[in-house]
Amino acid sequence: MRRVVITGIGVVSPLGIGTAAFWNNLLAGQVALQRIDLFDPSGFSCQIGGQVPAYKINEHVPKSYRKATNRMARDIELAVIAADDAFKNANLQSNAYSQTPAFDGKRFGCNIGAGLISAELNELTATLAVARNGDELDLKKWGTDGMGQLTPLWLLKYLPNMLACHVTIIHQLKGPSNTITCSDASSHLAIGEAFRTIQRGDADLAICGGAESRLNPMGLMRYHLLKRLTTTHNETPAQALRPFDADASGGAIGEGGGLFILEEYEHAMARKAPIHAELIGFAATQDAYSVTEPDPSGKNYARAIQKALSDAKLSAADIGCIVPHGLGVPEFDQAELNGLRLALGNHLEKVPFAPIKAQTGNLIAGSGADAAAAALTVSTGKVPPAVNTQQVIDGQRLNVASQSRALDVPVAISSVYSLGGQNAALVFKRV
Amino acid sequence: MNNRVVITGLGWVTPMGHSLEQVWKRLLAGESGIANTTLFDASTFPTRFSAQVKDYDLSQHIADLSRHPGIGRNTTFALGACAQAWKMAGLPALSGNPDAQTSSDNSLDLDRVGIYLGSGEGSLDFGAFTHAALTAWAPGSTSIDAVQWAKTAFERMSMRREIEQEINMPLSHLALLTGAQGPALNCLTACAASTQAIGEATEILRRGDADVMIGGGAHSMIHPFGVTGFNRLTALSTHNENPPEASRPFDANRDGFVLGEGAGVVILETLDHAQKRGAKILAEVVGYGSTADAFRITDQHPEGEGAIVAMTEALRDAGLTPDDVNYINAHGTGTKENDGNETLAIKKVFGDKAHKVPISSIKSMMGHLIAAAGAVELITCVLAIRDQMLPPTMNLHTSDPECDLDYVPNKARSARIDVALSNSFGFGGQNDTLVIKRFTA
Repeated sequence: MRRVVITGIGVVSPLGIGTAAFWNNLLAGQVALQRIDLFDPSGFSCQIGGQVPAYKINEHVPKSYRKATNRMARDIELAVIAADDAFKNANLQSNAYSQTPAFDGKRFGCNIGAGLISAELNELTATLAVARNGDELDLKKWGTDGMGQLTPLWLLKYLPNMLACHVTIIHQLKGPSNTITCSDASSHLAIGEAFRTIQRGDADLAICGGAESRLNPMGLMRYHLLKRLTTTHNETPAQALRPFDADASGGAIGEGGGLFILEEYEHAMARKAPIHAELIGFAATQDAYSVTEPDPSGKNYARAIQKALSDAKLSAADIGCIVPHGLGVPEFDQAELNGLRLALGNHLEKVPFAPIKAQTGNLIAGSGADAAAAALTVSTGKVPPAVNTQQVIDGQRLNVASQSRALDVPVAISSVYSLGGQNAALVFKRV
Repeated sequence: MNNRVVITGLGWVTPMGHSLEQVWKRLLAGESGIANTTLFDASTFPTRFSAQVKDYDLSQHIADLSRHPGIGRNTTFALGACAQAWKMAGLPALSGNPDAQTSSDNSLDLDRVGIYLGSGEGSLDFGAFTHAALTAWAPGSTSIDAVQWAKTAFERMSMRREIEQEINMPLSHLALLTGAQGPALNCLTACAASTQAIGEATEILRRGDADVMIGGGAHSMIHPFGVTGFNRLTALSTHNENPPEASRPFDANRDGFVLGEGAGVVILETLDHAQKRGAKILAEVVGYGSTADAFRITDQHPEGEGAIVAMTEALRDAGLTPDDVNYINAHGTGTKENDGNETLAIKKVFGDKAHKVPISSIKSMMGHLIAAAGAVELITCVLAIRDQMLPPTMNLHTSDPECDLDYVPNKARSARIDVALSNSFGFGGQNDTLVIKRFTA
């Protein structure tokens, strides 16, 4: 079986643009949750979120591609920026940077997880208004006068596979290309599938992970209807998201993404690439419990972790750090703890535990940022803090610290479960 | 050594019906599922027709729907197609409750049953969405009033209706239906999605991460924004005067595709698993190829570069040559661009053989099911091999110099078919090809 290593990490997160900003601010314990100012959130009970700091998309694409940026929804922009960061981090020349790319594009795959992209209301509303009849839309008028106002390529701005498509065009990646759309598990499943693609020899390199932005009225509305958000911390965002804490009151949405460049080991060695970690285990399972809530027993979440460990030929005792899903929704965190206990047994309270969403919010399909954090614990020997996990629920003991720690992390795990019941786990090992 | 992968169950819900054999008969008879759109008032749209699923009643397929409240149209299609395929494969009766199933019937290890769909998003709650948008917009303003928007949205939008639009919902409901707890994924790679899903599901079985995979996809974009999006792209036929003749793949007068909806689901198994339980094997999946054009988000590569490599890779993966292929189920959308490029790509891959291998597009009859198209078309390939019959490309009357191959025009015909190749290409340059083969031990 071919070995697969991580040679590039690209992150765009509420903690900053780029992997360095993400990691440094994560270790510093900075909380990026804040009052949402992308629009006026006063009409919502939860008014906080993790926003990506202001950026100029044109600074992250080649000059020749700038015209195409007006066809990018925000989710797509975040993926494009993360990809730019990942290529630079991997010290890898693609067509975006050089006429003579350092690889054969046909052997370079792409698998970028994505969410349900909401149509931009500001763009749409003025168009809808042409066909209004009072406060309702008149479809006959829409057909005659309304739709023609929309830009011809309107639909393409919102197709989930456009994250991958723009990235493949910018960097000229022509190998297997996929887009996983499994909510919170999208990034991890995309990384796992890209890993298999390289293992089996269908590609030598792949860019993989995911990106999403739900910090728009429609995205925020859907999470309110699901009752997954905290509504008691609008004035105290730094304390709002409390994974596994007895005082947890709900989650918060973040936006962003995380992408890896995976590379076949010999290929990476031959080009003397920087190696962050080896991706050594992956597994996916499915709950058959509910489409909106995780199985309270956590049994299939546990199976994902166990199977990923077994894929890596490792056991719970080998794990040096866990980055859990940790949404801060009390009953969900309880289910996750049940799963972790099933998977890790007594090791659960010993393994350094890094529930990073307290600092970023839930990046949903962009949770590749969580996977990036796990990989970085291995490469840097640093474990991020658990800033808001003070009194653990259920009397459980967890190995958390309020500040980052320098620790020996030979192996790290990042595990997620999705709205919809998909579970996935990735295992990273120091090379 | 990789596991061999076989198909043991088929199910579909299509614009031409919802039973496997009935739809197949209608395809061979060259009938059409295309008519005026009735799901919404499209009377002033540039395109007023589509291929709608008609007279469909999910309770005919699944008795107990209590675990599936408020499901979207795409999920109703996915559930019906899955129930048919599961039954055809002779898998244990569906109780919908994995614990009950395990205690009463241990013949199937549900931890080793996975799902890989290429399903599309659920349909927008159009009324609530547009109402909220309009109440929050003041004439002349360049932005909505988000506070007013939220007020209206909270009054009009419901949790189920919103959440069932999430792209992974058909997948998650199939898990509830079947109790499958193995690897579960959904990919949405535009019009190539369900071909890709079946290809990737095959890879999961080959490497031994599951014994059984439910593969396929479901989608409906027959709603005002869906049709608007494709009309703005000028991708749809506007042949409003005669809808059944609107979809004209490879014809010189083709003017775009016809939007359809539906689902296709196949049960895939490792050969070993299928044989051990004595399942009837319908075909073997032998090859899969997937590439990206990396060209433009709007257009296919004009020389079909990505499509050529997808087909070549699928054949290489199958250990077959172009000479072995007896039938190509084309992507064949009926757009000017696709059909010319696909023909060119087939010529590049098949060389001299290109003129001898029959090619057809069932989109001429049932329209383009978008994310679900590939699954429905692969099922057609399985049936073509079973019955040694080629479904026709209907409405092919005027030859186009760019499209000069044998497209099985207007009439089904019998042929020796051992190996079939199915293409799907998606917006953004997604290319996926599957190769299936008559099963021989």
